[in-house]
This record gives sequence, C-alpha cells and structure tokens, in this order.
Amino acid sequence: MKSTLVKFIKNRKKILGMNARNFTYVRPNNLKKAIWVADNKIISKRILRKNGIPVPKLIAKISSHEELENFDWEMLPSGFALKPNSGLGGEGILVIYGRKKNRSDAWVKADRSVVTVEDLKNHIRNILDGNFSSAGAPDMAFFEERMQLLKLFKPYVYKGIPDIRIIVYNKVPVMAMLRLPTRASGGKANLQQGAVGVGIDLATGITTSAVQGKSKIIEYAPDTRMLLSGIVIPFWKEMLELAVKAQEISGLGFLGADIAIDKERGPVFLEINARAGLSIQIANLEGLKERLERVSGLKIKSIQRGVRVGMNLFGGGVEEEVEEISGKRVIGSVEKIKLIGRKGKEVEAEAKIDTGAGWSSMDDEIAKSLGFEKTVEEYEKLNVDYYEIKNLSKKERWNMVKNVPYIDSTVIIHSSHGTTYRPMVKVSFIMDKRKVLTKITIIDRTELKYPVIIGKRNLGGFLIDVNKV
Amino acid sequence: MNTINPLINYFVLQGVPLETIILILTLPIIATVIAFFRQVFGVKAFGIYTPLIITLAFLAMGVNGVKYGVVIFISVIFVGMVMRYILKKFRLLYLPRVAITLSVVAFFILAILILGGSLHRTGLASVSIFPLLIMIAIVEKFVAAQIDKGNRTAFLLAVETLVISLVGYYIASWDILVSIIVAYPWLVVFILPINFVLGKWTGLRFSEYFRFREILKKSD
Repeated sequence: MKSTLVKFIKNRKKILGMNARNFTYVRPNNLKKAIWVADNKIISKRILRKNGIPVPKLIAKISSHEELENFDWEMLPSGFALKPNSGLGGEGILVIYGRKKNRSDAWVKADRSVVTVEDLKNHIRNILDGNFSSAGAPDMAFFEERMQLLKLFKPYVYKGIPDIRIIVYNKVPVMAMLRLPTRASGGKANLQQGAVGVGIDLATGITTSAVQGKSKIIEYAPDTRMLLSGIVIPFWKEMLELAVKAQEISGLGFLGADIAIDKERGPVFLEINARAGLSIQIANLEGLKERLERVSGLKIKSIQRGVRVGMNLFGGGVEEEVEEISGKRVIGSVEKIKLIGRKGKEVEAEAKIDTGAGWSSMDDEIAKSLGFEKTVEEYEKLNVDYYEIKNLSKKERWNMVKNVPYIDSTVIIHSSHGTTYRPMVKVSFIMDKRKVLTKITIIDRTELKYPVIIGKRNLGGFLIDVNKV
Repeated sequence: MNTINPLINYFVLQGVPLETIILILTLPIIATVIAFFRQVFGVKAFGIYTPLIITLAFLAMGVNGVKYGVVIFISVIFVGMVMRYILKKFRLLYLPRVAITLSVVAFFILAILILGGSLHRTGLASVSIFPLLIMIAIVEKFVAAQIDKGNRTAFLLAVETLVISLVGYYIASWDILVSIIVAYPWLVVFILPINFVLGKWTGLRFSEYFRFREILKKSD
C-alpha cells in the first residue's frame, strides 16, 4: 500500500493536466496569430505545402451559399473527403469512397450507404452555418483528396484512415501515438469519439501500449482483435522530421502534428493542432509534463538534431518490454563487462559479443589481473603447440597440463588465426546487470581490438540488438 | 439578521431592496465557486453563465421551489435528448432545430404545470415565470453541446451543471453566509485574490487523477 502511494506521488508530477497545458505550454508558446492559422485548415495546409511538406490535394472550396448553388458536382472525383475549414475534434468530416454505379449524382461511403448531391448540399449548409466550428462562427467547406489505406494498417482498422499524432515542443518530438479509427468512432481517428490511440516508442517507431476513447486501456484492436503492440510504423524518422519542420513553419511552440500514410504518396500531413489533447499520455502510459520539462531550454540548432534528441531521450520503451516478456537482457554488439576472478579480484573490460565463437575468451593480461598469473606463466612454459599434440589422446593431453595451477580444463579452438590449444579457468562476469558463472579460455589478444569476447555458450540469457550502442 | 453594515443600510435607504443587494453580492461568490469547480475539480458544466443563471433561478424559486426547479431542469434535458433522436433524420439547420426543440420543451413544461395543478400540487404552478423561462432557454446550450461534443458528453455536462447549480444554490441561501455579507459586505472583495490564484494554478484537476489513473499506478 505504501509503495502505491509513493508511485502515485512520483507519477503525479510527470503528468500534464489541462491547467498546466493551457497556462504553461499553449498560452506562452502559441501566439494568437499562429493558433489562428492552425485552426484554419485551408490556410495552414497551403503554408505547409509552400514549404515543401506533402499535404492532401485541395479539390475545391465553398465559402458561401451562393457558391454552393453554383457548384459543379461533376468535377468531383469518385473518392474525396468533405471537411469544415475550422472543425474541431474531427466533427463534420464526410468521407466518400466512390461513385454509385450508373449515377452521376450519388456516391457511397465506406459503410456502403448512399450519399446524394442533396445530402452533400445539406451537409455543406450545416458547415457554412458554423455547426461544426468553434462558437458556431460561419465557416467554409472544402473537398480534398482522400487518403488511401496502407496495407500494413488494414488488419487494425474497421474503416477510415489511421494517422500518427506527434507532439513537438522546442523542436524536439516528445511523444507520439498511432490513432486507429474504430466502429465506435465512425471511422474517425479522434479519441474523444472512441478511436484507439496506440503509444509509439520514439526511438524505433514501434507501438507499445494502447487506449480506447478517453481512458480505457486495451491490448487488442476492438473490431479486428489484432494485437496492438509491436506494429512497426514505416517512414518513422521521416515523419518525425516532418513534424519538427511543421513546428518551425507554423510558429507554434507546442504543436500536435497529425500525419497520415498514403498507400502511394507515403507520409502526408493532415493538420496541425495548437491545443493537442492529453490522452496521448494514456496511450503511452507516460507523463508528458516530465518530457516537456526535460526538453525545455535545450538549444536545438537543426531539425535533424531535434529528432535525434527526441529519439535518444524518449526511446527505449520497446527494449524494456522485450526484456520483460522474454526474460532476457537486450545487449549491443559491444558491452562493458565486469570480470570476477580468484579471491574476488575484479576487472572491467569492453567485450565483443561474438555469436561466431563457442567459448568466451580473455586476454592473458586480464587473466593475470584476475589472479591467474601462475596459470598464465606455467602454461607458457609448457609451450604446447596444437600440431604437436593433435595426435595425442584427450587423457594424454590433460596429463601434460594438469599441474598448471588453477587450470580447470583445456579446449581446442579453431579460429581465423589458426587452431590453438588453450587453458580454461573458472571466472564469473557481470554483463548488463546479469551475473554469469562460466569457464573462459586464456589467449594472447594484444593484437586484437577487444580484450574479451563473449561467445555463444554465455549468451543464453541475452538478446543482441546490433544497433544498440 | 443580526447586524447590518452601515453601507448596506445606506443602500437600503436609497431604495434598493435588501434582497437585490444580497443577490448581487452573492453573484461573485457563486461565480468563484464555479471557477473553482472547473479549475480544481475538473467539473466543466456549460461554461460559467449557465450554472450561474440556473443558480439564480433556483434562488428565485425559493426553498420550496428548488425541488420543482430540479424536476424542470431534468425535464428540459430529457426532452432535449428525445428531440435530438427524433430530429436527427430530418437533417435540419441549427437555429430552426433549436427553435423546434425549445417549443417542444415549452409545451412539455406547460403540460407538467397543468398536470401538477390537476393533482393539486399548487407549489409547481406558483413557481414564478422568469426562472421557468430561463430553464427552458438553457436547452439551446444543451443542443449546442450535443452537436459539438456528442450526446454522452452533453448529458454529462448537463449533470455537472445541475450539480454545480445546486451547490451554488445551497451556498448562496446559506443563512450564515447571508448574514456575513450583510454585516461585512467588503469581504466579497476577497473573491479577487482567490481567482488570481485559481487563474495561475497549474496542478492536476481531481478528475484528471481519475483520468490518468493508469499512469499514476505505473511503476518505472
């Protein structure tokens, strides 16, 4: 019970609440002019496009009832999205999937229901009258190109297009989630409407935990029963760079970027948000405030640098999870280890992780520091050469060396440098917090880059990530 | 009333009714309570105006009237929800839609009054007309919330509005508070520093402890 309370108090400070978001982040960082641009979808997309950021193609816009009456419906393509210019939370968006067969005045939605020109007109009138805009102010309606669903996401969504929300602050991406439309959300990717948010590890672009709606933790996609963790998001780094670039362009210090991935075009910027929602924290099971505080005040000179800082600071969730599930430690191809020899003597060294080697080996100088001076000296005196002893029986060979102090056994090692007959001693080593008790061969490795190699026999409890440094 | 501040006395002598003075001076207190509920508890309601005006409607209805006030409020929300369901398929524009909903609410309230009268519940019919009209008019807020945030959220906001209004009502009709206001009207000025603090407070709201409970439970 006590530990729950401690966790509670510790975690409390990490979470970003509505008061702090508005007062500490939105208000000082997002100037009124920049918020106005962000809330105006047509203008913000035009600005993004001019700066080389891919956005959906604008097909047409309607800004008055008069324009609506004179609109040429024939010019619309078979699939498109109809949106209010200053809609909030995904309200008022209508997505059309194709033309109704044999009719020029009707289309179908994803759920196969028919939409006629009259329906569209009615919807647009509602948009123009401000039914979807904040404070009911008169609004514009626009048609834009419909995104095509990426094959990767098909098993996870019921209908609609998922997108990726990335929060950027001070040019650093701080948190991200994949938003999956569901049956409950009516094909929209907004969490308030019941869509699913899946947390993303910033370093790898791999999904972690998930939430549906405002606070329901889930593991499987609600409509398709697919496991939500472990999805590898394509174009990951590219999207982080786009998000940071959009922040620079928009002038919003605290920005929520929404990016979709089109089947043909790749990442396409959907919109920028001046007041990013807070549920992303539940999707990631991480607090945003702590991350924002770590990033604030950093001097970030370039987009690439900002992305790198974000990936380094806020990655690692996947690795922890892999360790938890597999019960194995994730290590890189070179690890710092601590060897423990006779009488508790300790030596720290860099070890090369070598899955091509059977046994682990260490340099004879290290063996000496571990209390095996006599072993090394006596063995050298014997001056055993593999080619001389190779025809002897195992027992005859052992008889030759058995008087060497502390020797445990011997082994014949075939390597790229030829074949050697080596002594082995009992030592233990600690690698990535895990202790391994083993036998290690002793050999002169002064010519080699790493004084120790760890071979297959000692790697049972580890997983190797060659990218880890 | 025990003591009356000379200032209040002066106001009364100028012909301002004591009732009015008390009501006006409690207004800042109710507004502060509403702000406090929003910033610290995370109870949103329909902004500050609606709960304030409903609190005043309750106050105008008097001690016996408040239960009718609650019944009428619930009726208004109930009719608003039913009407959304009925009007959905007609795809009407906003203002005509609100006008229709408002009319049906008005008819419904009239029916309640007649029904109350025939059952000899005269208390209901004797409720003064202005608070009643205020209650009917809040259906617009409700319809707007339905469109903006969906049925569920709108209903939740309505419940929150009712709760805050009731809290406001009980605070404002609290005898001790009323006699303090009459005796020391200048105390109302302390509302200002309280709101300054609220306006700069960035802590988590009570509702957010619940919303983010999964993160709070998590160990690192």
